[in-house]
Amino acid sequence: MCSRIGFFPACGLLICALLAGMMSGGCARLPYTTKVIHEDRRVVVSLQRDPKAVAYTHPAQLQPDQLSAVLNGFSLREKQRLPLRWFAEEVPPKKIFRSDEIEALVPFLAEGLEKAASDERVYFQLLAPGMNPAAERDTTAGWIAVREPFLHLGLEHYHAQFPIQKSEPLDLRYPAIPPEPGSYLLYFEPGRFWETDPVSSGQAVQLREFLKTAVPASRK
Amino acid sequence: MKLRTILGNIIEPIRQTTGIIAISTLILFLIEAYPAHAVDTGKLVEKDGQYVFVESMDPATRLLLERAYEKGIITQEERDKAIKDSETRAYLMQPSFKMWYDRGFNFSMNDNAFLLKIRGRMQLRETTRWRNDAWRNPGDAKNYPELLGVFGDYRANRSDDFASQFNLRRARLLFLGHLLSPDFKYFVQLGFETAENAQTPGAANLLDFYFLSTHLPLLNVQVGQYKVFFNRAQINSTASMQFAERAPVMDAFTASGLNRRDVGITIMNDDEVYPVNYYLGVFNGAGPLFNRYGTYNSEEPTVPCPGGQTSGNPFPSPSPATCPANQRNLNANFRDEIDKLMYAGRLQWNILGRPGYGEGDLAYSEKPQMAVGGGLAYNPGINTSTDNAFVGIDLANLNFRRQLATFGNGRQLGWGVVNYLTQAYDAVFKYRGFSLQGEYYFKNIDRTFKGAPCLQTAGQGGPCTAFAPGLLGNSTGWYVQSGYYLIPRKLEVAARYSYWDPDTNASGDLIKQVDASINWFPFGTYDYQLMLTYSNLAMGTGGYAIGRSNPLPSTGGSQNTVPCPATFPSGCVPLDRVGGTLIENAIRVQLQIFF
Repeated sequence: MCSRIGFFPACGLLICALLAGMMSGGCARLPYTTKVIHEDRRVVVSLQRDPKAVAYTHPAQLQPDQLSAVLNGFSLREKQRLPLRWFAEEVPPKKIFRSDEIEALVPFLAEGLEKAASDERVYFQLLAPGMNPAAERDTTAGWIAVREPFLHLGLEHYHAQFPIQKSEPLDLRYPAIPPEPGSYLLYFEPGRFWETDPVSSGQAVQLREFLKTAVPASRK
Repeated sequence: MKLRTILGNIIEPIRQTTGIIAISTLILFLIEAYPAHAVDTGKLVEKDGQYVFVESMDPATRLLLERAYEKGIITQEERDKAIKDSETRAYLMQPSFKMWYDRGFNFSMNDNAFLLKIRGRMQLRETTRWRNDAWRNPGDAKNYPELLGVFGDYRANRSDDFASQFNLRRARLLFLGHLLSPDFKYFVQLGFETAENAQTPGAANLLDFYFLSTHLPLLNVQVGQYKVFFNRAQINSTASMQFAERAPVMDAFTASGLNRRDVGITIMNDDEVYPVNYYLGVFNGAGPLFNRYGTYNSEEPTVPCPGGQTSGNPFPSPSPATCPANQRNLNANFRDEIDKLMYAGRLQWNILGRPGYGEGDLAYSEKPQMAVGGGLAYNPGINTSTDNAFVGIDLANLNFRRQLATFGNGRQLGWGVVNYLTQAYDAVFKYRGFSLQGEYYFKNIDRTFKGAPCLQTAGQGGPCTAFAPGLLGNSTGWYVQSGYYLIPRKLEVAARYSYWDPDTNASGDLIKQVDASINWFPFGTYDYQLMLTYSNLAMGTGGYAIGRSNPLPSTGGSQNTVPCPATFPSGCVPLDRVGGTLIENAIRVQLQIFF
């Protein structure tokens, strides 16, 4: 085929593209899954390697009830651009997790933190039937990681509609792409434990101090 | 012994009673647990674009009930009954349908037995192009000719060198959803756009209307009008491309050779379930909104004498010797080739993952995605008009001819009835924002009228004095394209090279195109995109095209005679008198909004 039109441009393009593909394949630019901890219709928990992250102090030991206490303190507001931001501030923050969601999630998050390496974070998805249950899943997704003494939570989707299939079930030729991660303002109560991690400059929960106050004495 | 029997008689009822008590306790516990569960019930509802969990019962009422129960004002039975009645009332009061926006306006019954999704898609394009002088003369009369009037005489596609125009390239309205169950789907797509170089403004066209049953994953059935599952480039939606436009070679090798869409039925398996997918379809093979009843020849009242034009049929042959001179003009009355159907099949193997049909790796595949596939289509009995240059003497239906010209297969016009056997082979690879895909095409064109067509006769019905200098060959082509997301899910660069030989018997007719594109997806989906595509097209004007190249049709005389004698119905000057390669450099800026 190449000989009919000469080496360049057809074969040149092909070879360049293949080389580019091999090079690009070797360097991930977005977090990617390294191990699936648990997967069912309600919860997906996996380990992700984040190429941009500063090292965490994993593996980390946290009991499910300790994690429950931490997750229960989180709330959010959707990050808005101006001028909607002025009005968004009037809206009180919403709890991220319901109690049944925390109950379903924490055993696997705890397991994930135990198995995670220092360059991995624990990614989760909370699933529920979507608005069109045949095609979509209601998805709350994010990740947690521990860098002593802080616990980081990243929220990527809050009750977003994720396609179940890779193609639109009603339009087989059109790819069904999950929505992009959203931007959220996270809050934590009690606010005195919501601090800035000096390593990453991101906000995180001062885990150890919080656990002293939040967890029953029997666990201390 | 007797004592043991007495003890046994006493213990056994106690043991049985204990079992009964345990079971009863469990039942009571479950009964007890049910109201507590009911109190916690609720559901996710959409409100102002947010999904929130709402309890089935009004929180204030519930608080009062709980307090009343805790203080002993009401009994547990009364509390439970109030909760149950409240939930029943709430259930009965809620509407039986829901409406929301999510990639389209959605309307659904609560039991999901019916869904209607309405979407709109617009591609607004600005094209700036520079063409060489060959576009002024000779222009393109061979691959994309314009067909004039009811006779379909050939006209060269010519233009000035520079052009800059806005174009609503795609204006679509989609109605899609399911009926009765999510496994019985429907899809309706209307198009209102105008193609580049179109002579008339766009009108509402029914592009797709089909039903799809997915009840059996191994045997999905699709019926109606839709794009034939044949080659990758055409199966893919124009909403998920890496370039503003398909390469010319992609359009030339559709299953039917006429159009990417057709009316028929396809069986296939569910490609979300099985790694190897098949598609088998039977179609009219006549293009969208059309069937073969609408294609015809002219026949004299005497069967089977071919109909003549105003000045009579110039040929002694193939008319039977017993045919009369000319009974009636331009009948266009004889439906033939109406027993033919098109058969198209495709086989695909998803070797790694499932890359799908969308171009580029917008989804940023975490794992390598790779697939290979191939298609085979047989579309017999395509009437390309008479197998000579006397345009109009049989007045074959113009719809077939115009579709051939629109999709770049104009060199196949005028060669009588042909059978197309088209092959397509493709491969695709995607990984972490990188994509590479390519296809190879080959179309075997079988002319049912063998031999070289007669082009000039010595007078009406006289012997043939000039034949076509060469016969129509087959057609082949391929393309390869690659892309990479510089910013994952946001910014992509892509390049493509395409090669097309429209007539393997002709020389100087190759069509090559190089494209480069930079694409911005502001929201990380195909729905919203801004593309800037540069294209360089080189189209050879060589080779013989019937009715456009020498020798031109004549019933006597010489085309060198001035003025041109009346015996040349299509004129005396061939449209490719001036040769050369048509060069076009174009920049297309295209905005897509799919909502």
